[in-house]
Amino acid sequence: MPATAYKRVVYRSPSEHHYLKVCLEFQEHGIGLNTAQFKQLLVSALKDLFGEVGAALPVDILTYEEKTLSAILRVCSSGLAKLWSSLTLFGAYKNKKCAFRVIQVSPFLLALSGNSREQVLD
Amino acid sequence: MATLRRLREAPRHLMVCEKSNFGHEKSRHKHLVETHYHNYRVSFLVPECGMLSKELKNLVMEIGPYYSVKNLPLHELVTHEFIHTFVKKGSFSALTYNTSIDEDNTAALLPNGKLILSLNKDTYEETGLQGHPSRYSGRKTMKFSAEESTMMSYFSKYQIQEHQPKVSLSTVRELQCPVLQSSSLAGEPEEACSALELFDWLGAVFCHADLDNQPYNFISTYRCPQPSTVVAQACLCTVTGFILPEKINVLLEQLCHYFDEPKLAPWLTLSVQGFADSPVSWRENEHGFQKGGEHLYNFVIFSNQDYWLQMAVGANDDCPP
Repeated sequence: MPATAYKRVVYRSPSEHHYLKVCLEFQEHGIGLNTAQFKQLLVSALKDLFGEVGAALPVDILTYEEKTLSAILRVCSSGLAKLWSSLTLFGAYKNKKCAFRVIQVSPFLLALSGNSREQVLD
Repeated sequence: MATLRRLREAPRHLMVCEKSNFGHEKSRHKHLVETHYHNYRVSFLVPECGMLSKELKNLVMEIGPYYSVKNLPLHELVTHEFIHTFVKKGSFSALTYNTSIDEDNTAALLPNGKLILSLNKDTYEETGLQGHPSRYSGRKTMKFSAEESTMMSYFSKYQIQEHQPKVSLSTVRELQCPVLQSSSLAGEPEEACSALELFDWLGAVFCHADLDNQPYNFISTYRCPQPSTVVAQACLCTVTGFILPEKINVLLEQLCHYFDEPKLAPWLTLSVQGFADSPVSWRENEHGFQKGGEHLYNFVIFSNQDYWLQMAVGANDDCPP
């Protein structure tokens, strides 16, 4: 096949989605949540702050680790502020105090596969 | 209404997609790799490959060490002896460790000999240097990459430590891969996926996300972009540390040679992620950390030596060159 011709395209804000790497911390130890329960928790966080309309915001859990309660979430870019603020203000689950830590946010999922701020030089 | 509008806004980001061929005289691939100085993570994906060739594996294992020096005063980097021993030889790169570009003072030494300081207002006034305000708003541990034996002896009066990059190799089975056409960055309906779709998919693979969810799935609806094919196996390799651009160029060349013999794979990818807290992205373009600090690039290398190059940056960055 003949070599392709040079072409350059610059896209401004092309990502329809934003990705968040988050971790849920409980004040008490030993609380476990499966993926469906974690998703339900996200929905209630959105509902607490933004009502039924907010709760309907589509959020995908791309990865979930039950041991550490950490996940990579996908949300449409127009819903980023709503989701992030809901996570920030979520304080308790079934009367147990907890907090979301938002570790990384990016419109590029590939950027979440590594975090240079977590690099440890022993 | 203004509040509602602001709620729906996300920070701007930029993606440059280029297509060319490695055989083109004016191909900029080497230059773009060389001028992206502070690389934290390099990964590549080879479809239809169960095990890396000996050459590739050796290349990855021998990327070379990097060094950390604790409590190094910055003035050591501008002494005549230091410049003569390291900077003039080229291939010397340094970056402060554990400093956040949006909060702390940060310093970086580029291979071309320039020392970049990103300082808060008080420190800037104390230094009395001539600079310009950041476009986006000590004594530190620094990490370096350079020639081995000289480093250990030169910085022996400070705590210098050698580190090896971390390498991880894995094989993924039954991987759904997008179908691509090298001549078509934007894809073709029902025939080929676009460069943007490929970039997203690559992220899903390296984050180990499920690629085949149904649209009604409660947990996730993410799917591999279509059209796609399933490959029996694919090799993923990731190196993290402080990696010199020269090493990445050598790796790129070796990956191009992968197609010297006929292979089942139609393409492979090489992705590089920069340090979120580097004060520069490409060349001396100022880099900032707004919400993500991302500056990364990805090559898609086709079997006919065509390539795509995607360069992505976040809100506090200039457009990649």
